[in-house]
Amino acid sequence: MEAIKRKKLKEKIVENIFLICACVAVISLLAITFFVFYNGLKPFVSNSYSLWSFLTGVEWRPGSNLYGILYMFVGSIFATLGAILIGVPVAILTAVFIAELAGSKVGKLIRFAVELLAGIPSVLYGVFGLGIIVPYVLKISPMAQGESLLATILVLAIMILPTVISISETSLSTVPMEYREGSYALGASKIQTIFRVVIPAARSGIMTGVILGIGRAIGETMAVMLVCGNPIAGIPTSIFSQIRPLTTNIALEMGYAAGVHQELLYSTGVVLFIFIMIINFTVNKLVKAKVGS
Amino acid sequence: MGRKMKDVLAKSIIYLATGITLCVLLFIVGFIFVKGISLVNWDFLTRDYNEKVFYAFVQEEVVPMTIDAASLSQKDPYDKRYESSLEGPIYIENIGAAIAKVAYKNNATEKEQFVFSYIEKDSPLLSAIDSTGKKLSIGTDYILESINGTDFEGLSLEDVAAQINHETGELKIKVVQPGGGVRSNIITTLYMVLVSLLIALPLGIFGAIYLTEYAKPGRLVNIIRFAAECLAGIPSIIFGLFGMAFFVVALKFQISLLSGSLTVAIILLPVIIRSTEEALKTVPTAFREGSLALGATKLQTIFKVVLPCAVPGIATAVLLSIGRVVGESAALLLTAGTVAQIPGTLFSPGSTLTVQAYYVAKEEGNIELACAIGIVIIVIVIVLNILSRITSDKLNVFNKK
Repeated sequence: MEAIKRKKLKEKIVENIFLICACVAVISLLAITFFVFYNGLKPFVSNSYSLWSFLTGVEWRPGSNLYGILYMFVGSIFATLGAILIGVPVAILTAVFIAELAGSKVGKLIRFAVELLAGIPSVLYGVFGLGIIVPYVLKISPMAQGESLLATILVLAIMILPTVISISETSLSTVPMEYREGSYALGASKIQTIFRVVIPAARSGIMTGVILGIGRAIGETMAVMLVCGNPIAGIPTSIFSQIRPLTTNIALEMGYAAGVHQELLYSTGVVLFIFIMIINFTVNKLVKAKVGS
Repeated sequence: MGRKMKDVLAKSIIYLATGITLCVLLFIVGFIFVKGISLVNWDFLTRDYNEKVFYAFVQEEVVPMTIDAASLSQKDPYDKRYESSLEGPIYIENIGAAIAKVAYKNNATEKEQFVFSYIEKDSPLLSAIDSTGKKLSIGTDYILESINGTDFEGLSLEDVAAQINHETGELKIKVVQPGGGVRSNIITTLYMVLVSLLIALPLGIFGAIYLTEYAKPGRLVNIIRFAAECLAGIPSIIFGLFGMAFFVVALKFQISLLSGSLTVAIILLPVIIRSTEEALKTVPTAFREGSLALGATKLQTIFKVVLPCAVPGIATAVLLSIGRVVGESAALLLTAGTVAQIPGTLFSPGSTLTVQAYYVAKEEGNIELACAIGIVIIVIVIVLNILSRITSDKLNVFNKK
């Protein structure tokens, strides 16, 4: 009796250990949210800096106590939009090629290439951008430097390729064969079938890929930091303007910032965090909607 | 035939897009290899980034030169930082090595230095020891600063040669091992992988076991899944911010290996949970039922039946995680620092390969060196990619049986 009881107790204890381990993810998420928000909201609660001037300011000069992030926000949005505009069509068409047109050998090869592209650390994209893209942009740019919105957009467009390709490809290949056969039976060509039947059927999966791509582009730090220029002020007015996305603002100055300056870097993190959470929720909803249908 | 034209057009656009994707990949990998390959050699991998000054004790011994003068002058110490050879080389018999005077460039400063340009096979320099009797090795392109207390700065090469030929017995020479290597970064990366996996693996695997083997579908499971998904979507700079606020400042771990590993461990959690869950799910329910029917407890079933079957999946999770740690940079920049050194304890800082690549590119504008580091990283990534393919194939084979 005693032995069985002890065995049961042991089972129960271990189960609870497993439960605690599973909860670490939740605890981490809560802790991250708490620490970033706690530090980031401090300056506004204690009135050491006004929230309004933080959100609408277009200058970041810690030396003269000016901390505005509007121009960074605009820079982040422009860079992401540009990257999506260039990267997404290329990515979707590549996914179409892998899923619909390529033979199994060629498809495998390209898939391997895409995986490799996904595995290259972001710093190396930055190094590539700095070594190739920036000098080329400088050649056509009226500005004195090649670090620019355009260079950032190009680097980010490359970086979102693997994310969008792999998710679009998965969702394209889950479209039932019957859809295609039905379309062929109606006399449609292969290409017509792809564009009129398969892609619309895989729409929600492709959307998920695109939104995850947006998430990656907005959150990207190291690659962007090397090619964006990081100016201390100014809303970008052309694709040759330098930009300073939210992420690089944090990474650039966190090492030496202190006091209100440091807290406002956390505030920058809060803005970024809210942005990313909105994206996460959207993806979650999309995936659920797809499962529902 | 408008339709056929359209089809051909659409098809060529698809081919073009695929072509662009492939070209971009080839171009990036090609760029990094072409730019960096000339710097990658054994010295690059085995030397630290910073210069190292040390004293070596050498027993003087006359070693005649075995090569002719013409080929001696061909043997320039090859290193990107030697701008030009100023004098020499001159062969010095009693240490069995040739030295040359070169303009030596380190970061921004440039000065004249004496370096070993050629060392004979039997040279006493190769059996040098340090003050504690430990063996040292002195190689070509090491800088010679002084012998037996005589500083060579400002002297001409001939004076130095005469000076050395004059010395007898045990020589105490001060040499500088040139920097520019990534040994410390490789070792830091290794430490970072080990410590973060040690933290994240048990948590992730046990968590996945709970989710697949114990949890009944419901609120708690949904919350855990959602949290894991959210964690996967958070950019690494936010993890860096958290690591800085919590591990570095609140827990007073400082910017260190430990802070970095803990931060990365959180980044790894969703990866490990997800892959382990997938692996556990592929284990047929019949296996569990069989084990339970034999009288095994649930725990015994999990550890003796389910987990062993899921080993290839867990191995894939480990490989994916290693890839993540190797590629991680923004979070580590804030929590583990940019000091190129081997962390002596858990509480000392150190930069991994990726952080070093960033630092070199951004702070020193040295694209070649950054690419050389990039080659090391890409080779690691490719190896991990291939290994994870093998392990996940194993899992599939098991399923087909």
